Amino acid sequence: MSAGGAFLYFIIRKDVYKQIDISLITEKNIIQDQIEQTDTIPDFSTTFGHLIEVKMLNSPTYQLQVIKDTLIQDSNSGDDLAYRKIFYCGNSPRKKGYTISIYQILSEKQELLAAISLYMFSLFFSLLLISILINYLISKKLWHPFYISVHTAGNFDILSDKPLDLPETDIIEFQQLNRVFSRMTQKMRTDYLNLKEYNENAAHEIQTPLAIIRSKMELLMQNKKLQKDSLSLIKSINEATSRIFKLNQGLLLISKIENQYFHERRPVSLRQIIETYLENYREIMEIKGIRVEMEASDQGMVEMNEVLADVVISNLLSNAIRYNIENGFIKCHIDSQFLIVTNSGLPLKTDPELLFIRFHKSGENLQSVGLGLSIVKKITEQYKMQISYRCTGNIHEMKLNYRLNVAP
Amino acid sequence: MKILIVEDDRSLCNSINDYLKQEGHICEIAQSFNQAFDKSSDNRYDCIILDIGLPDGNGLDLIKELKANKASDGILILSAKSSLDDKLIGLRIGADDYLTKPFHFAELSARLNSIYRRNNFLGMNVITFNEITANTSDNQAYVNDKLLNLTKKEYDLLVFFMTNSNRIITKESIVEHLWGDDVTLTDSFDFVYTHVKNLRKKILTANGKNYIKCIYGFGYKFIDS
Repeated sequence: MSAGGAFLYFIIRKDVYKQIDISLITEKNIIQDQIEQTDTIPDFSTTFGHLIEVKMLNSPTYQLQVIKDTLIQDSNSGDDLAYRKIFYCGNSPRKKGYTISIYQILSEKQELLAAISLYMFSLFFSLLLISILINYLISKKLWHPFYISVHTAGNFDILSDKPLDLPETDIIEFQQLNRVFSRMTQKMRTDYLNLKEYNENAAHEIQTPLAIIRSKMELLMQNKKLQKDSLSLIKSINEATSRIFKLNQGLLLISKIENQYFHERRPVSLRQIIETYLENYREIMEIKGIRVEMEASDQGMVEMNEVLADVVISNLLSNAIRYNIENGFIKCHIDSQFLIVTNSGLPLKTDPELLFIRFHKSGENLQSVGLGLSIVKKITEQYKMQISYRCTGNIHEMKLNYRLNVAP
Repeated sequence: MKILIVEDDRSLCNSINDYLKQEGHICEIAQSFNQAFDKSSDNRYDCIILDIGLPDGNGLDLIKELKANKASDGILILSAKSSLDDKLIGLRIGADDYLTKPFHFAELSARLNSIYRRNNFLGMNVITFNEITANTSDNQAYVNDKLLNLTKKEYDLLVFFMTNSNRIITKESIVEHLWGDDVTLTDSFDFVYTHVKNLRKKILTANGKNYIKCIYGFGYKFIDS
């Protein structure tokens, strides 16, 4: 655009100069004609704006014509003014040399040129602005389906059962893009569903063989003729299978949660569940000398599945008991937004972030299969609640934020 | 006790049969819905152990059938699904109890006994083992008619021992019996140890005999040796 502007400026300038030059040459020719025919200098005192100097020489001279810019000091103001000058020298037929100098003032023309340039520039500039604006608007409209597609794909949730809702578009490239997006997400979803189904089937199918193993083992255990070394073998097998049972139970529960198996929900009182489980674990806590404090300013009503609410609370409380110390304490706090279970214990040796990860174990407790808290996390996610853990020295705190799932 | 075992898996079916026979029960086996239907129409059982997922029908339908005929058989549902729906429906249409696979025999035995007591000894819910008696209607235990001051868990533990006498009872099954079998994994067996210790002390203090024998590595046996 600016190159075009500059180009146009030079074109106009050239034209103006050409115009001036032509008039200079015409004037020169008139004068030259007269000189050559009559050897007299015409009267050009009336020619306004032109400064003409004609000199007659007595001897012949060479022939030369030059047109150029020049500066002449103005006698009034003393400023240098720009002129276009034609200088010609030649010989009349009578072998008398003469020179003609004609000056054409340029300042007017330059003002004209400056004005034209300004108009041109503002025209070009507004053109530029308009074209940028139009370009912006067009591309905004043109790329609109693209941005919607990208946004939709970005918000794609593999857990949602709705297919990707991509906008209709007339643009072939975007249609292709949308097809790719749809195919990819469709594939992801089916893979995910297959995997989920596989997990549930696997965990479920394992239950019956496990039941057989357990039943056979318990029969074997009751056999009175067993030798001592056989008994110790059975003991090891028993311990290992017990772990598999628990593991499988945990995995089955996780896949059931993922498969929306526990879809029924109703308002449940976290406080009530906590009280039930505190009662259930009361004797264990007494044995360990654990002090229990209940600080409830709210019933802690949440809308969720009862079974899963039990799982969450029993996990939190049994952890608080299991990782507690002799003569420690457990404090349960419930207000209108939070359920906080605080307990004494040994300082945490691992990264708190890892606690909620499947199969992460704190190392000391070999009986634990490391699924409890990941199940808790899964459940809380499903019900728009947040669970977080904090440890300051010997005090451990589990905080359940149920603000987004308060039941009336 | 006369028991009908309805379970399509032959191996598991045989295990249950073996175990219950060792306990002195009379057992019959049905491995399909039709077999179960025939047997339960012709005979009366003290208890029917019923697997819900049968190859040729749903066990729940059998319960409906039995209840429609006003049969008094006790029904214990056995299912691989720990499905709350199945459980609720089963109990609503008349099953007495529900047990999830895999289960402990000690638990199965305790549940069967409990169903049997409820159905047969109306108001006479007393379990006796030598000088120890447990009254299941008011949850109190006595040694030589002297009341034992037991906590609820200790009482549950004593009844669990008495209904599974002369057999090894694993610590796992005790944990599950006392605290439930959800994944909460109250797996510190120390608690079992402490409860057993306290129970034993209370029985001894009341001049009862020590019947609780520790089987190292497995658990306990309630036995009069």
